[in-house]
Amino acid sequence: MRKMLALMTGGGTLFGGASLAHANGWNMPVGVTDLSAEIYTLHMTIFWICVVIGIVVFGVMFYSLFKFRRSKGAKSAHFHENTTVEVIWTAVPLLILVGMAVPATATLQKMYDASDAELDVMITGQQWRWRYEYLGEDVAFNSNMSTPRAQITGEEERGEHYLLEVDEPLVLPINRKVRFLLTADDVIHSWWVPDFAVKQDTIPGFINENWVRINEPGIYRGQCAELCGMDHGFMPIVVHAMEEDEFDQWLVERKEAAEAEAMGVDREWEMDELMERGEQVYGSICASCHQADGGGSPPAFPGLAGNQELIDDVDWHIDVVLNGVSGTAMPAFRSNLNPVELAAVVTYSRNAWGNDTGDAVQPAEIVELLE
Amino acid sequence: MWGVIKSVLAAFFGVQKERQRRHDFEHGKPGAFILVGLLMAVVFVVVIAALAIYVAG
Amino acid sequence: MAPKLPPHHSLQHSSTTATAGGQVHDDHDHHPQPRGIMRWLLTTNHKEIGSLYLIFSLIMFFIGGIFALVVRAELFQPGLNLINPEFFNQMTTMHGLIMVFAAVMPAFTGLANWMIPLQIGAPDMALPRLNNFSFWLLPVAFTLLLSTLLMPGGGPNFGWTFYAPLSTTYAPPSTTFFILSLHIAGVSSILGAINIVATILNMRAPGMRMMDMPLFVWTWLITAFLLIAVMPVLAGVITMMLMDINFGTSFFDAAGGGDPVLFQHLFWFFGHPEVYIMILPAFGIVSAIIPTFARKRLFGYASMVYATASIAVLSFLVWAHHMFVVGLPLAATLFFMYTTMLIAVPTGVKVFNWITTLFRGSITFEVPMLFALAFVVLFTIGGFSGLMLAIAPADFQYHDTYFVVAHFHYVLVPGAVFSIMAAVYYWLPKWTGHYPSEILGKWHFWLSVIGVNLTFFPMHFSGLAGMPRRIPDYALQFADFNLVSSLGAFLFGFSQLIFVWVIIKCVRGGVKAPAKAWDGAEDLEWSVPSPAPLHTFETPPDFKPVQH
Ligand code: HEM
Ligand SMILES: [Cu+2]
Repeated sequence: MRKMLALMTGGGTLFGGASLAHANGWNMPVGVTDLSAEIYTLHMTIFWICVVIGIVVFGVMFYSLFKFRRSKGAKSAHFHENTTVEVIWTAVPLLILVGMAVPATATLQKMYDASDAELDVMITGQQWRWRYEYLGEDVAFNSNMSTPRAQITGEEERGEHYLLEVDEPLVLPINRKVRFLLTADDVIHSWWVPDFAVKQDTIPGFINENWVRINEPGIYRGQCAELCGMDHGFMPIVVHAMEEDEFDQWLVERKEAAEAEAMGVDREWEMDELMERGEQVYGSICASCHQADGGGSPPAFPGLAGNQELIDDVDWHIDVVLNGVSGTAMPAFRSNLNPVELAAVVTYSRNAWGNDTGDAVQPAEIVELLE
Repeated sequence: MWGVIKSVLAAFFGVQKERQRRHDFEHGKPGAFILVGLLMAVVFVVVIAALAIYVAG
Repeated sequence: MAPKLPPHHSLQHSSTTATAGGQVHDDHDHHPQPRGIMRWLLTTNHKEIGSLYLIFSLIMFFIGGIFALVVRAELFQPGLNLINPEFFNQMTTMHGLIMVFAAVMPAFTGLANWMIPLQIGAPDMALPRLNNFSFWLLPVAFTLLLSTLLMPGGGPNFGWTFYAPLSTTYAPPSTTFFILSLHIAGVSSILGAINIVATILNMRAPGMRMMDMPLFVWTWLITAFLLIAVMPVLAGVITMMLMDINFGTSFFDAAGGGDPVLFQHLFWFFGHPEVYIMILPAFGIVSAIIPTFARKRLFGYASMVYATASIAVLSFLVWAHHMFVVGLPLAATLFFMYTTMLIAVPTGVKVFNWITTLFRGSITFEVPMLFALAFVVLFTIGGFSGLMLAIAPADFQYHDTYFVVAHFHYVLVPGAVFSIMAAVYYWLPKWTGHYPSEILGKWHFWLSVIGVNLTFFPMHFSGLAGMPRRIPDYALQFADFNLVSSLGAFLFGFSQLIFVWVIIKCVRGGVKAPAKAWDGAEDLEWSVPSPAPLHTFETPPDFKPVQH
């Protein structure tokens, strides 16, 4: 059986053209985890089973079509039942399937065993970005697609990783078992990286579990796999898998940066600083619905530019950003953005596009409201 | 009764001897076959479920 | 069971003088009836209603096809070239909904209306007025559905599977109309199914036992039971959506204690039997055509019936194979993997039986046969990808990619749709009295076969290589596959104009067909004249069973 599987996988290599760990463009990638390779083997096994059955079945069929043409004088026979044959062709597929079910079951058991993980990463799907949180490490960030609009509309030449590039990739260590806890803030998304053979729906209000142990350092790309609204096609996943010590160092750096930002909460921020930071946050978080020019796309996504309700009432504005508007697509950002980002983005949208209220909302005010 | 069960099993498997089939259709009571069929369907579900739960541990 | 003859002239002739019942009228042109639009609005005749269903389905097939071509045009090259993502999502959604609920299902119901009474020797359907009502619900339902595209916020944009909460909390305002239109279409399906069951169980010609029925009748009987079982589930789930959207419940909203995954369980409990609803009648059609043109009795009639019944039962036990990645417990994943693998067995048995029917036959290749043979080959390819998808660990890679799109289009387009075309070519002589053009038919066939394969075969590759479904733009490595798919789609789409041409030509004239239009055809419909007069079998025929 082992040998047969190996043979079939070898055949699969022929079929696919090349046996690279990465996608070869025609076939499922072997991937960079033990499980992804195992799944690839299952895939090729069932594929070859289908090919063999296909050759037999279509062989008999085309033989009959050729041999028993009336134009060649074929006279039809009269048989129309044969219990033995029927038993055989029901039993044989049944046995093949049992043979397939056994290795498939074994693989599933491994896939479901997320115990003994060394690192926990919380993955949150949001329209239309991913949020990654290293649990217990105080490191969290959003990951947005970084392909420029101009490439999508064709005004600019498309890059090599068109639509599969992000501003901040998920960074993971190799050779460590990493457990993913997956959820969503709004609709269902699905986190998929083909090279890991990990695809898991992220469901609002529920937490799913999956895991990975990467064998090779590298950059691995995937996409959201569950239709999640307008920009479903534009929420890629990029994972940067590093050597273990490199990863540890990265984590320390990120922790320090996070602490530095937390310190910023207490001081008074200048308008310019807030605007600059706010524009950045707005561009990566808000613009996908409310548009870069604040115009929105009513009725689902109201415009912010010249929005009188927003201009008149700063408290309401902050409340909407912090807590969302239930029953609409506007999510609550209180736990997705830090106080500096929240203050900056509110300030930005109160002063950009001719809103010009002159209000500078301070991080400290936000902290107070969050308590 | 055993005959009915055997016929229902054959139907589940999808193959039945012509002679037996004709016998069932001419002499059997449809109600008995339907009842046994439903029961066997339940048994089928229970067996597969038990297997799955057992394998899942 | 004695056949009961319904008092069929009652409604249709209420405003005119009734002609003598109980006679076969050879010349339907002289038959008095309401004229113009009223004739069609009020008809209770199974043949006229069958034609209405078929014409409606053909129109919807083109509307759904235009939506598909909009999608394929956008995907012809990378980039957002023609339409924006919101509209793209509306197009994929509407394409799926229209093709499933307005094209394929009504086409099979139309064929059932026309052919079941003819095949069992009944004068009409058991419930003719209900029949009229079921049909006329459809234009209402789908005009409403299509009109949502013009509403503020646009039409449904959440995929034909309309997963909550994308289809509830996050849906456009028109969703309530979408729900209403599905309700109406659902009522139509249920009533149609009840009518078919009543007809088959009560109105067979004297002497025709269940196991003497043609397989098209058998498969439709089983399909009708599936419909009656699952359409109410669909109605339930969309009602729950309606409540979530408009009345503040939270069936599918975790914030209110609900569960979005519950939606998927309910939807697929309807949805998986639904996909078999779209293929079982096709099995029946192919089981009629292959023996005709192989001039040999169908191999394993009884096992065909059993396999159909097995599929129907199993189809209720496999729904969560659409949900392997939602986070089911291991035991559930195993259960649904095992049952899904099992359902492939009776499906395989069907294919083996058709091929054995060909073996040692005396085969000719008229257009209906060509479509039926293409069905066998290409449907089997769809069955193979189904088998691959059944392997749950591998499905973690396949799920929600173009591989799945390839799978279900293989079973639905060269599967269900080809079977419908085969049926049309096969029965057109009976409907119109003329043979459809053989030359045009062959052009239509070959262009369709090439188009379908160019469109859908590359999708296996793009899916395996990692392209998710339902995206309006894609990474550059998928460009070649998409280019081929789009070209194929346009070829397939435009080839269907030939089909319309064939039908129109055939209605207007052509080589005259005798009662028994195909020399290997055996069933009862071939014993009435071609074209079939408006009223047939007003006195039950003499049915002599072939020894099955
Ligand atoms: C050999 C029998 C079959 C097997 C084992 C099978 C298996 C599957 C599986 C496992 C999926 C889920 C794939 C995924 O989403 O990851 C699927 C999807 C689907 N199948 Fe099949 N299938 C079979 C035959 C059919 C037939 C006969 C039809 C209809 C005529 C059909 C129509 C569909 C459709 C429409 C979907 C996708 C629905 C969607 O997500 O939009 N299948 N099939
Ligand atoms: Cu299914």
